Amino acid sequence: MEQMAALVRKNLVLILTLAVMLALFAAAASGMSQQDFVITLLRGLAVGALTFLVASGFSLIFGLLDVLNLAHGTLFMIGAYIGWTVYVRPDTFVDVLTPLALIISGFTLRDVWALLARRVPLSGMWGRVAPWLAIAPGALIGFGVMRGYPIASWSLENYAESPVTFSFLAGQGQRVIPAPAAFGDASPLMAFGGLILASMLVAFGMTLLRRGETLTGSRLTWRSFASFVALVIGGLVVFAVNEPLTAWLFALDTNWLFLIAVLVAVLSGMGLGALMEMTLIRPLYVRPIYQLMLTLGLSAIGIEMVRAIWGRPEFTMPKPALFAGSGAGCPAESLVLALQNSCSTMIFFGGRIRVYNEIFVPLVGLAVLIAVWLLLRRTRLGMIIRAGVQDREMVEALGINVRRVFTMVFALGVGLAALGGVLAAPSIGLSNTMGESFLLNALIALAVGGLTSYPGAAIGSLLVGMLQQFIIKYGQIGIVIPFTEIVFKPSPPLVPASTILLMVIILLILPNGLLGRKE
Amino acid sequence: MTPILELRDIHTFIGQYHILQGVSFTAPHGAITALLGRNGAGKTTTLKTIMGLTPPRVGEIRFEGRRIDGKRPFEIAALGIGFVPEHRAIFRDLTVEENLKIAERKKGDYARKQEMIFSLFPDLKRLIHLRGANLSGGQQQMLAIARALVADNRLLLIDEPSEGLAPVVIEGLMGAIRQLTADSTVILVEQNFLVASQLAEHYVIIEEGRSVKSGRMQDLVNDRAAIHRYLGAA
Repeated sequence: MEQMAALVRKNLVLILTLAVMLALFAAAASGMSQQDFVITLLRGLAVGALTFLVASGFSLIFGLLDVLNLAHGTLFMIGAYIGWTVYVRPDTFVDVLTPLALIISGFTLRDVWALLARRVPLSGMWGRVAPWLAIAPGALIGFGVMRGYPIASWSLENYAESPVTFSFLAGQGQRVIPAPAAFGDASPLMAFGGLILASMLVAFGMTLLRRGETLTGSRLTWRSFASFVALVIGGLVVFAVNEPLTAWLFALDTNWLFLIAVLVAVLSGMGLGALMEMTLIRPLYVRPIYQLMLTLGLSAIGIEMVRAIWGRPEFTMPKPALFAGSGAGCPAESLVLALQNSCSTMIFFGGRIRVYNEIFVPLVGLAVLIAVWLLLRRTRLGMIIRAGVQDREMVEALGINVRRVFTMVFALGVGLAALGGVLAAPSIGLSNTMGESFLLNALIALAVGGLTSYPGAAIGSLLVGMLQQFIIKYGQIGIVIPFTEIVFKPSPPLVPASTILLMVIILLILPNGLLGRKE
Repeated sequence: MTPILELRDIHTFIGQYHILQGVSFTAPHGAITALLGRNGAGKTTTLKTIMGLTPPRVGEIRFEGRRIDGKRPFEIAALGIGFVPEHRAIFRDLTVEENLKIAERKKGDYARKQEMIFSLFPDLKRLIHLRGANLSGGQQQMLAIARALVADNRLLLIDEPSEGLAPVVIEGLMGAIRQLTADSTVILVEQNFLVASQLAEHYVIIEEGRSVKSGRMQDLVNDRAAIHRYLGAA
């Protein structure tokens, strides 16, 4: 009893704040019909779930690495575009696999490069120049090969072959396999050899750049050779079976294709995250301001790259068949019937809701919340992450390679953002600005919930999603100002403004957010 | 016999500050060696330098005859060196059990050492599910030492174990540290000369970043002039 009283005394401000929020929520609920309330609630959950996927990754990265990754929103967007590519243009995806595997292959021989770097007697000016003598020709060879490498793609100039058109056709169920890209006069073997050579040169150059650091791994391991051989053989096999593989993907049920798209987007996000941490973020751990500038710059570069590859116009990603039907039995009367008939909508409390947006996305958000919570609480990696948030130096002194854990956490964080992106694509469509708006939502959610608190990220995201949807709904039905006849309809600009106002109020009352710790 | 640890003319910088300006000593197997000196002499930096947390710019560190300077802290720890830092540095959000489990280097280390750890520190068994933040100073210190015992460490670096603890708690800790030498060698940084002299067989005095005197502890205990000169105690 005494403990309970002490707990209440300690968290009095938090309890009062939550009580006021609950009262406001009840007041907001009483101002609309039950049908409107339920639909608004579900929409809020959907936005909250997507915001959470960005916020949770951001929070994990900031909590352990102290890195404010301002490129997180852009990585969310890139996840969406990669997912779209796999889903709508699987032929492009298959074409990219071979060069990608060959480009990565050289980097897997890092033991060899480390050993060579130790044996090369370089000092002074040579020490500074030598890495670039390997990186520059490597990059040039790689660029030259990739310019002529045949990858079937869309056209940004020709509307009939633009992403917008391919999306529209896929949405109509017209999945025609475009003509495959071919090497023509160029020799595939030369291209493959060139890519492997380029990869080796760049990897060796980058190892030389890191000579100042301790180069671990003085022994050659079979694992690196095995990875190299597996990547090269894998890449060549994919090239050999390119056409049947493409045909198989095009013939695949869209539900399975969507699942593959989600997996590829998440894995690509994780790969990008790991690459970013190892090459760009790691040298700047001691310079937080530079880190901030770097991630801001990367965000701008990412947006421009997306514009260059997929173009500026917005387009949609068709929903998988399970959530796209509108025939007999739709809208369904229950979730079971909706799934049986593959309905895009269903009737819930008398109102019509979208199964993908308002049921599937929040469920995935909930699943991710539980999965990451279990990872943090029930696994050794989670234990290391929680310990690392408190004292990285001590974790390292226990014999744990903290750098590797940093890379894994960065990869996980970006993977979650990419998952958010690919899930958001069928719901809100793809645009060059989708990342910015979700990053802003996520930052507000984290400030509200507590910057490094994982449950805080979930609560903050939920609040942001709910508030936005309730304001949108009241924009339609209006709020009757008490004791007057005046009906106030919040305008659209009030939607983002309301979340910022929520953040300001919470931070004034609880400077560390709802569940944040005192820094 | 090769000493378990050997430092040769170690120079360490923290930022622009030249903290260690020539520390050399050897630590024999299976004994406790105390690093003594006034506040700010460089004792803690010496332990951190051995651990790779503040790497040396000049000099050599050998563990069991093998050079370890230039290696990263996790690699040094993996060779069999445990570190109990000043102010304990236990993980406050982790439970006692998690604080111990995180120190596993091989799967099953904790299960294997559980009995030995709880026989040394019986209190920890009772507190096993409590969060680190809820432990008293003495319990945190026990946990910090216990954590270093989970993996098979042949050398333990213990920094100021008695700091801020009540005399009765210090008594218990001293007993536990003494028992550690059955399996490991201990390098101990201790400000309390009485505690250090009762625990250690050997000593090294560090003054202004340099090792200035070393030998058997018994000889130092009998050398009141040296104690007064280097440690300010009589």
